Amino acid sequence: MLKKILSVSVILTVLFLAACGGNGEETSSGSNDGALELTFWNSWSEDSPENDVMLERVEVFQKENPDIKLKMESIPPDQYKTKLKTQAAGKQLPDLIQTWPGAELRPLAEGGVLMPIDDIIGGWKDTLIPAETLEDYAIDGKQYAIPGNQVFTSIIYYDKDMVAKAGFEEFPTTYEDFKTLVENLNKEGINPIALGNKAKWPLQSVYISTIADRLTGSDFLEKVFAGEAKFTDSEFVQALGVIAELGEQEAFNSDANSIDDNQAADYFLQGKSAMFLNGTWALSGLISNSPEDKNLGVAKFPAIDGGKGEATKVSGTTGWGIALNSDLSDEKREAAVKFFEFLYSEETYQALMKVGTLVPATIEVPEETSELFEEVVELTSGGIAPVYDAVLPADITDIINNGLQAISIGQSTPEQVAQDMQNAVK
Amino acid sequence: MESQLTMKKNTKTDVQSDKKVNIKRFLKKPIIYIALIVFSLLNVYPIVWMVINSFKSEKEFSLDPFFLPDTWRWENYVEAWETANLGTYFLNSIFVAFTSVIITVLFGALASYFLARFRFKMNKFVYVLFVFGMIIPIHATLVPMFILMNKLGLLNTGWTLLFPYVAFNLPLTIFILTSFMKAFPKDIEESAIMDGCGIFRIFWSIILPMSRPAIATVTILNFIHCWNEFSFALVLINDESLKTIPLGLANFAGQYNTNYTGQMAGLTMVIIPTILLYVLLEKHIVKGMTAGAVKG
Amino acid sequence: MHILQRNKLAILIGLIPALLIYLVFSIIPIVISLYYSFMEWNGFGAMKFVGFQNFIEIARDPIFWKAVKNNIYVVVASVFGQIPIALALALLLNRKIKGGKLFRTIGFMPVVISTVVISLTWNMLYNSEIGFINRFLESIGLGSLTQNWLGDPKWAMISVCITIIWQFVGLYFIIFLAALQNVPSEVLEAAEIDGASGWKRTLFITLPMIWDSILIAVILCISGSLRTFDLIYVMTNGGPAHSTEVMAIYMYEKTFSSMRYGYGSAVSLYIFVFSLLLIWVSRLLLQRKSR
Repeated sequence: MLKKILSVSVILTVLFLAACGGNGEETSSGSNDGALELTFWNSWSEDSPENDVMLERVEVFQKENPDIKLKMESIPPDQYKTKLKTQAAGKQLPDLIQTWPGAELRPLAEGGVLMPIDDIIGGWKDTLIPAETLEDYAIDGKQYAIPGNQVFTSIIYYDKDMVAKAGFEEFPTTYEDFKTLVENLNKEGINPIALGNKAKWPLQSVYISTIADRLTGSDFLEKVFAGEAKFTDSEFVQALGVIAELGEQEAFNSDANSIDDNQAADYFLQGKSAMFLNGTWALSGLISNSPEDKNLGVAKFPAIDGGKGEATKVSGTTGWGIALNSDLSDEKREAAVKFFEFLYSEETYQALMKVGTLVPATIEVPEETSELFEEVVELTSGGIAPVYDAVLPADITDIINNGLQAISIGQSTPEQVAQDMQNAVK
Repeated sequence: MESQLTMKKNTKTDVQSDKKVNIKRFLKKPIIYIALIVFSLLNVYPIVWMVINSFKSEKEFSLDPFFLPDTWRWENYVEAWETANLGTYFLNSIFVAFTSVIITVLFGALASYFLARFRFKMNKFVYVLFVFGMIIPIHATLVPMFILMNKLGLLNTGWTLLFPYVAFNLPLTIFILTSFMKAFPKDIEESAIMDGCGIFRIFWSIILPMSRPAIATVTILNFIHCWNEFSFALVLINDESLKTIPLGLANFAGQYNTNYTGQMAGLTMVIIPTILLYVLLEKHIVKGMTAGAVKG
Repeated sequence: MHILQRNKLAILIGLIPALLIYLVFSIIPIVISLYYSFMEWNGFGAMKFVGFQNFIEIARDPIFWKAVKNNIYVVVASVFGQIPIALALALLLNRKIKGGKLFRTIGFMPVVISTVVISLTWNMLYNSEIGFINRFLESIGLGSLTQNWLGDPKWAMISVCITIIWQFVGLYFIIFLAALQNVPSEVLEAAEIDGASGWKRTLFITLPMIWDSILIAVILCISGSLRTFDLIYVMTNGGPAHSTEVMAIYMYEKTFSSMRYGYGSAVSLYIFVFSLLLIWVSRLLLQRKSR
């Protein structure tokens, strides 16, 4: 009897909650109290200073434009891509879609789900943002979004004292010297480079993107897809060979492939490793978590003898950008353009720089930034090399990621990986 | 009874093997306890580690993930609650999990009863059809499920997740319950029918109570599946006010960095309902120990 | 039960609720997925019918077969690791001993812990630089036995399997516990009177009585092992160099990274077929003729 009462009351409670829960129905997109509603997806879910800046800017826009309502959904980056692809397959994309350049943008553009913005881009081209940078978000000549931030993927963070002890007061500027540095550090019992390659992309995005550029020059990838060059050409194979060399030299920590780059950063901060290669996104974390007495330095990958590329370049790409759904009505498009004009402004970019984020705009560095940040801005002003996974189609990126991991543990050779990559070029 | 056994032993053994048996009996209990304790330490260590690190600052965690925190930062929990939006998401998860579990167990037990105790032509076919559902990897059905539910207009509502959760938990539930119910003696229904009981009365008043251990088991398993389910929740829900806990927990992982200490705090808070539920239901799983034996 | 047999209406009423939800929200998506497996589709544009091409391409991919091999490892490790240990635990803890409830709760804990925490904590055991296992071996003078447990392709899969075993013992533990409740204590007492106690009783009386549950557990184990994804994905991401790649990870990457939905669906069909095969085999071996 008691059990019956219990079960009935549970069922009633649940039904009651259900009635309450069911009230969260999605309101149809369209006019809402006379305001125009735009659905907007982004990946600003993490509690970071950069996201805080963006969310604040959105709020300010809302206040200044009460007739436009932004229905925003923030999804963590890893899941964002999954969700985007699933919803795209079901033809259910929002009005404003955050996206990433190159390989992420291409299927969206080619699938016809995005609306070009060539007619409005004049407001930014070469005034606030260099035309070359804008090209990251152009597919087949049509512009689809404006970049919000910029990342460089290949910065060498190093402990100045450890490197000095290994015989280099100034960071090595040639690859040969770099190898000597690695050797010396090993002799001292210090792990030369902290690497966290569990996710497989670091070796490609952080290392090869710049290393290959040093050897092949920046137009290599373009040439490969135009059929004028091959991955099996000696310069690229040599680039892959650098990873093999570093692996043989025991430059990396032995658990490199079973930890992620967060944990590798920790090794660096704990003093286990002398160097840590990662992107500019790691800068603020390294600064805030670093022990007081640690002397942080930044450098770019040294020049490689005989290489065709310019040693001043660092691999980088524009970060996120917001694109428009191709189904937008004229009314909504107007509202969206207003939003763009507000968001992609000098004010926003300045605010981003203040929290340590690099921006694609040509503006002055505000005063409130750290010294190290200024050094990084300097370091990366020598030209941009392409980041492989931003340019390559997804399946070739897969091959190089897995291939590099295999090379680093001696399970494959540069020649083999190069061949596999070339075979996948259509 | 005891004395009979010992008499048998003493007739054919000498003092030495007697001693051996005694030592074995003497050591058996402590060895078992030691093994259980080692095993328990291994099981508990991850939880302890998680809780300890949930109180550290990010910097402290980076520099030393092993030892106790210098200061116990209770703020981590408050921040984690906000970052993961746990206020709303907790309620949603509770609703979705409880409702799914109740529906799954109810429908599942009902179906299992007929599959286990009745002979009819389609019995084997239906049973196998349900078991098929246990074999499909979930990611293969993400896109089809999205498209299907979109067409049915079921996306992004308070009820949305119930459908895939129940559908995907039914196979396991039916699988376990059917096996359990099959093991009951054949004549249970006979005497009940003699007394004039109808089929559903038999189900509710006799079979269900007898299946309590199995029902408790599937309840816990279903709850865990629903509580931790991520993929469908990610893809089928857009509204912030409807999202569930696993989505909130994902907020700790940014594009390049992960807030480990906040994540640990979030995970600690989220694991509590599951443990509570297990503790509550555990006594039903081992009911044989406290109550009398099952009447055959 | 002849009376009940004829009551078709009742059977229908009993089965319909479950069947309805299941057919619409499980079978239909599966069938749609099957349909995709004959297509080439990147999710955005049009689908292209390619017949059996996906299946052939998969069969030709050495990485896929590596994944299959890894899955077999998981199946073997799980069936021969999780089931016996869970059984022993259930038998051990199915009685009144001091702290029984506590041990049973702790025994179940790993099932409840998030895979992120499991991955981080086991990584701390396995880590080749600072991990507990290697440090322990060194401290007792067995430094030569230290390995790169997760980073060396030779050891990675084994290490991952051990963690998987640990994670799910608790699951089968409670299933066996529940099954043991079905064993009437009179039968056990009667056996004791007849002179069978301890091992003999367990082996010849208890085990046969829960044999069906053991078979159930084995089937669950096999199907779960062939679908395993979460833990490996978080712990090693299928690496290093595909050494811990399993079919579900292979499928996920092809579907959401390489954006080939048709290919991914085809992989899941392979998983399905392999599962059926293994389950059929285990039933043949383990099923007893119904008395």
